[in-house]
Amino acid sequence: MGRMLWLILFSVNAVAVPVTVDIKSNKNLPVFQTVVYLEPTSGTPPVPAVDKVSVLDQVDRQFVPHILPIQKGSSVVFPNSDSIQHHVYSFSPAKQFELKLYRDSKVEPLLFETDGEVELGCNVHDWMLAYIWVVDTPYFAKTSQDGVVVIDVPVGHYTLKVWHPRIQDDLESLSQNVNINQPSVIEIKLQKELLQDLSFYQQRTDKLTDYND
Amino acid sequence: MARHDVSQCAIITHVLLSVIIGWSVTITAAANEIGGMAQIYLIDSDDLQSYQNQGTGILRHDENGVGIQQALLYANIDLTSDLTLDAVANYYPDGEQHLGFSQLALNYKPLSPDKIKFKGRVGFFYPRLSLENVDKGWLSPYTYTQSAINSWVGEEMRTLGLELSLYSPGRARRSPWSWEVTGGLFQGNDPLGTLISWRGFAMHDRQSLNNDRVQFAPYSTVIDPDFIWHPNYVEPFHELDQRWGFYLGAHLNYFNQSALRYYYYDNQADPLSVNRQRLYGWRTKFHSLSAQHKFTSQTRLISQWMSGSTVMGLSYVFVDFDAWYLMLSHTIAEHRISLRYDRFIVSEDDIFPTDPNSSDGYGLTLAWRYDITDKWQIGVEQHMNKNTAQNRVLLNLPIDANQHQTLLVTQFRW
Repeated sequence: MGRMLWLILFSVNAVAVPVTVDIKSNKNLPVFQTVVYLEPTSGTPPVPAVDKVSVLDQVDRQFVPHILPIQKGSSVVFPNSDSIQHHVYSFSPAKQFELKLYRDSKVEPLLFETDGEVELGCNVHDWMLAYIWVVDTPYFAKTSQDGVVVIDVPVGHYTLKVWHPRIQDDLESLSQNVNINQPSVIEIKLQKELLQDLSFYQQRTDKLTDYND
Repeated sequence: MARHDVSQCAIITHVLLSVIIGWSVTITAAANEIGGMAQIYLIDSDDLQSYQNQGTGILRHDENGVGIQQALLYANIDLTSDLTLDAVANYYPDGEQHLGFSQLALNYKPLSPDKIKFKGRVGFFYPRLSLENVDKGWLSPYTYTQSAINSWVGEEMRTLGLELSLYSPGRARRSPWSWEVTGGLFQGNDPLGTLISWRGFAMHDRQSLNNDRVQFAPYSTVIDPDFIWHPNYVEPFHELDQRWGFYLGAHLNYFNQSALRYYYYDNQADPLSVNRQRLYGWRTKFHSLSAQHKFTSQTRLISQWMSGSTVMGLSYVFVDFDAWYLMLSHTIAEHRISLRYDRFIVSEDDIFPTDPNSSDGYGLTLAWRYDITDKWQIGVEQHMNKNTAQNRVLLNLPIDANQHQTLLVTQFRW
């Protein structure tokens, strides 16, 4: 009997339930590329990091993607799709490293074992910048252009968190405990102004920019 | 004294070559970025004799035919994480030095988490005045015949010394504005100013190499032992007085859309210094302001203005010079079309009116360049200029010249 009950409970927990999160700025505009993640609190067993390798490429003198969420304990590989050298580095406490990425060279993936923000730069192209946001949960994704993301999670209790480099609101104040037992829609409205959008850096970059700096 | 004996550039070249060889045994091929570029031209040239052939024409070529426009190898060799050896070696079939370095420098750019960072370089390199010469080997990706300003920079100016910079990339500060302040100290550029004073501004893409000599016409007042007594050539990279020249510069960028660069340059040469070849020190000072704005990712406007003066001897020659250009460049798929207007003026105010040094002119250059593949490019350029040089009377030539040339260029890079 006890074994049967455990199986039933496990089956209920294993059912994926969609959680829709809609993030709006204080001006009611969608916030694109916000990392949304749900950290299990109780009732949901922690899931170990899968053996996953994410990709952060260098394309046309830019990092692609600009924001990369990954699960703690997973790895990131840094290919170089450009025909010129890059020198990727991070001074962030969550992961400090430097990688020289030569034309046609291949480097081993890097393991990210601490959650938090990893800000990347390139010592050759000073305008290049990207973020890896390391989360301690397998349930994460980025919002699309409409500021919405859908994440499938097992039924259970979670702490919903969001992150974006332009968000000035206190991240703790934006996090909330949620009990997910059915498809849910959660709206988050930012209180503070977003920091300036700097994506224009990517729109006027070309191969002739190399020699300028 | 032979010119090879006195060139400090030859010394620095040997020192840096030793560094290359010393490090090359410890670095792997993966730590290098080595490549090259070659351009073959077919030209319908102007027939006014080129300054390179001791004429008064301000273009590089004066004969129809086929030849090598550019041939260069570049190397960026990582010596440590922060230190890179950057070199550009060129071959030119024309001119006096056919094989040599146009740039050879150690670049130090340490990684730093600071918002204001430091970098420096030492060696033989260009001060970064130009927003036109942004391709490998300081070439222009826009036109083959470069602006009058940067034709002069390429043939007569180089920093043999040290440059230190503070810079602040805007994106890391969450700002659209990036800035840099820079300063250089150098030796070995005392004859700078000779060419624009006697020949005037020229328009070409022939960069002087590390120990080069540039010819110009044998103006009687210049070569006369009883008058100025100077050879009708200059070897621009000599140190004659052991005085340090300097430059100060400031860069300001808005995103990657707009760029502004200001430089003040003073070679501090002693105008009374002279060597056994009778090459003089020319005290040359100028302001340079460069700007670029990209209207869209396809269309950009580039401009540069330079204003300065140079003096040699006891004001044997003293000229003010002013030059500017405006260039519009547009890409359609793999095609780039560039149109540039140049204006250049040299005005004399010296003690020898019988050695006339005033010159001026304008140029119009239209180029189409098509990237067939990543490696192959083909292009056509039409150039015309109208220039006046008062000292042509010394050679019984008309002072005015209208020059035209058409270039067809095939480029291969690897």
